[in-house]
Amino acid sequence: MSTGSADKDADMVSGINNSRHRLGLDRLPPEVAHIFSTPSKRIHSGDDLSYFLSSTAYRDLTVWLLQLNRSMFPTKTSDGRLDTGSLTSPPTYSANIDNLRSMLGTLSALIEQAPPSTGPRRFGNFAFRDWHRLAESEADALIRKHLASSIQAFTGEDPSHSTALTDELKAYLMGSFGSAQRLDYGTGHELSFIAFLGCAWKLGAFVDGEERSIVIGVVQPYLELIRRLILTYTLEPAGSHGVWGLDDHSFVPYIFGSAQFGPMIEPNDYSRPVPTEGSLRTAPSPAAVANKTRTLDYKDDNMYFSAIQFIYDVKKGPFWEHSPILYDISGIKDGWAKINKGMLKMYAAEVLGKLPVVQHFPFGSLFKWETDPQAAAEEKAKIMHAQQQPAAVVSKDVLLPGSGVGTAAPWANSQPAQRGMIPQMENSTGVPSTRAPWASSGRGRGRMQAPSANGDPATAAPWAKRDMLR
Amino acid sequence: MSDLDKAIAQLRACRPIPEIQVRELCYKARELLIEEGNVVAVDAPVTICGDIHGQFHDLMELFRVGGDVPDTNYLFMGDFVDRGFYSLESFLLLLCLKVRYPDRITLIRGNHESRQITTVYGFYDECLRKYGSANVWRYCCEVFDYLALGALVIGASSELQGTDAALANPDPDANVPSSDCDDLEIEILNSREHIVSRFRRKGYVTSENNCLPAQPGSSPSQQLGQTPSRNGAPGTGATSSSRGSASNAGSAVLCVHGGLSPLIDSIDKIRLLDRKQEVPHEGAMCDLLWSDPDEIEGWGLSPRGAGFLFGADIVKCFNHKNDLSLICRAHQLVMEGFKEMFDSTIVTVWSAPNYCYRCGNVAAILELGEDGSNAGYAPRGNGDAGRSNGVLAERVEQREGPGRRYRVFDAAPQDSRGMPAKKPVADYFL
Repeated sequence: MSTGSADKDADMVSGINNSRHRLGLDRLPPEVAHIFSTPSKRIHSGDDLSYFLSSTAYRDLTVWLLQLNRSMFPTKTSDGRLDTGSLTSPPTYSANIDNLRSMLGTLSALIEQAPPSTGPRRFGNFAFRDWHRLAESEADALIRKHLASSIQAFTGEDPSHSTALTDELKAYLMGSFGSAQRLDYGTGHELSFIAFLGCAWKLGAFVDGEERSIVIGVVQPYLELIRRLILTYTLEPAGSHGVWGLDDHSFVPYIFGSAQFGPMIEPNDYSRPVPTEGSLRTAPSPAAVANKTRTLDYKDDNMYFSAIQFIYDVKKGPFWEHSPILYDISGIKDGWAKINKGMLKMYAAEVLGKLPVVQHFPFGSLFKWETDPQAAAEEKAKIMHAQQQPAAVVSKDVLLPGSGVGTAAPWANSQPAQRGMIPQMENSTGVPSTRAPWASSGRGRGRMQAPSANGDPATAAPWAKRDMLR
Repeated sequence: MSDLDKAIAQLRACRPIPEIQVRELCYKARELLIEEGNVVAVDAPVTICGDIHGQFHDLMELFRVGGDVPDTNYLFMGDFVDRGFYSLESFLLLLCLKVRYPDRITLIRGNHESRQITTVYGFYDECLRKYGSANVWRYCCEVFDYLALGALVIGASSELQGTDAALANPDPDANVPSSDCDDLEIEILNSREHIVSRFRRKGYVTSENNCLPAQPGSSPSQQLGQTPSRNGAPGTGATSSSRGSASNAGSAVLCVHGGLSPLIDSIDKIRLLDRKQEVPHEGAMCDLLWSDPDEIEGWGLSPRGAGFLFGADIVKCFNHKNDLSLICRAHQLVMEGFKEMFDSTIVTVWSAPNYCYRCGNVAAILELGEDGSNAGYAPRGNGDAGRSNGVLAERVEQREGPGRRYRVFDAAPQDSRGMPAKKPVADYFL
């Protein structure tokens, strides 16, 4: 299954980390007027996916994720102590982080106002739509209240500007709680929340060095809210490889959690890349995840184990059978940093590089649908370089499924991802409802001219009745 | 012991067979399946099963509860693969049994028996992992293309002989009809062969979870003074004068993975499809594998993005036109294992317990008995005297459904599962 792509991908990761400068997402200069815009979907085909992979939005998402990831490695404090970044000894939070925390608290409290319905149903609970409606109606005010200073800084007193900005943020925030229509949740929604935080960063809501507080103080509570939503409304996994996916719903806790157990780094030394091997001396063996009792020991401190615990909470059966990918990873001998590196590569291929996932990602003025000049240059150099090389070993599944047989399936056309991210093993998330992969964008595409005998097809949206589908 | 029997023994032990044997097996299976029509005729008695999704140990539990092949005649309605850990072992075992006992097991195609779907939902990953190459996946997909699209169960008895078993809940107030009452319609057994409940025809049926309304008690043989329009074999639109009796027995049961299609108004139209291909994204073949019944009128858009939703009126009309007493389908998880809808004109059977290790549902299989009257001869006439001619009148006559015995079962206990060796991890982690 191996290809050269994995290495190139690692280069991408470490290449950015090798930068002597502080790695981080650029903030918008407040003194320059900025036109905000409501984000819209742009990825409809394999070609669009290729474009995305060399866009500034893609670069920003990657930089942002790596920035957060780096912050989760244990560090040495200025007085020489070890700071493990445990969830149970959180850093102090700035006002804006506290704001976002209370925003999540408010959203979580809305669950009380939308109790799951007890009537007949198959799986996903329709009351989730009530919660989603409530959240949607509050979102505007919540954003205005909790990110007030940033909004003020960029839009002044102009109400149309502040509306545009709020709408842009709202698209990412509301995109991060699953689909009300399909009653599901997946890594695409999770990505939307990471992007929402990226927007806040770009607007200057956070200061340098605050990344770990963002992950521990905001991302983890977000994941807890999501788990509550999944349990309360039995949300299905969106997209699914069954047991052959990493996790039914989530990905980022495995990235940040593996970083938490990586070797200690010097927080301010950007000349050295993030380690790709080894573990913190006190970290448990990765094998501990296959053990329920040991998972209990770490679930409150570490995001990886917190996610594993959730699997134990919802699944019955042997761990190796319902979670074989995580089980295999638990056998890795080169430490948590190795796992961290693998998770980043896998995220690039299975989340950012997968059409069914990123086709829902919207682009606006902060995450922009435009060519990243640097990526274009790299691409050119790569092609020149490639021309002087023997033909590369091609990943098997690039040859295989979809392509050739499909007609309209968008993902059947997806190009081997650029920037060395040829998907190698199709893992992502896993379970219940089977949806036609070719239909995920623009559902139905006006097929409804069915020669229906008794009148009016689909007057009321039929999916308002949506069941757990197979 | 033949090679095939050896392969069956090995797969029953949940051990995959070598790639070369898979190739041979798939070749033989294709030769067999190519001879089958799009709609396979299956004689009752038969045990009908829904989705399996690679839950091998639960499939073993199914055989324990329903009896072994070839002692029991089985009909599996597709979705053998994807999602579970053992799609490969499950599908290959069923395929071996099909090749070994072609007349005792029928496999029809589900929407997951497709190249595109298996690359998204796990079976492709599984083959790659278990064999290190996609060859086996490719062989299996070639078999998928030959699977029948539906089956027509003929000769199912409208009478149900109650099982001579103890009550699961021996509460004297439960008012379970006795096994020898002659108008038993439905019996529900748990995996310990205890009777959970029984329902009589025309009964005052109560069940919270299962839609089991009292039968309307209409008799299609009532003379309404109209000319019989057709009385060919059930499930066909054919006209025949061979047997115009007013007998109720023998109306057929259509089995299909998903449901109906707006492009299909008769079973003969299914027979005309060119099925030997990857499941298309739309059209009749796609709909049969993807559609779902729903509480709507007429047709609706499916949230799945393929197939349609269809309401009670569609089902009743289709059953009437095709002289069916019941449509049996799978495709949707049902927490109770089965669910009858639309005055028992359609039933969903689901055979994957604790689906995806977390849904907490039970599974079910449906047994249809053989019509013992007429010395086992399954009447092919439909006796539709008294039917309205042509266009459906407002009142749709309903065929009396076959006697139905549901066996409900739980996930196999954990101790029945082995312990695998750790496999090399994905490239990302090398």
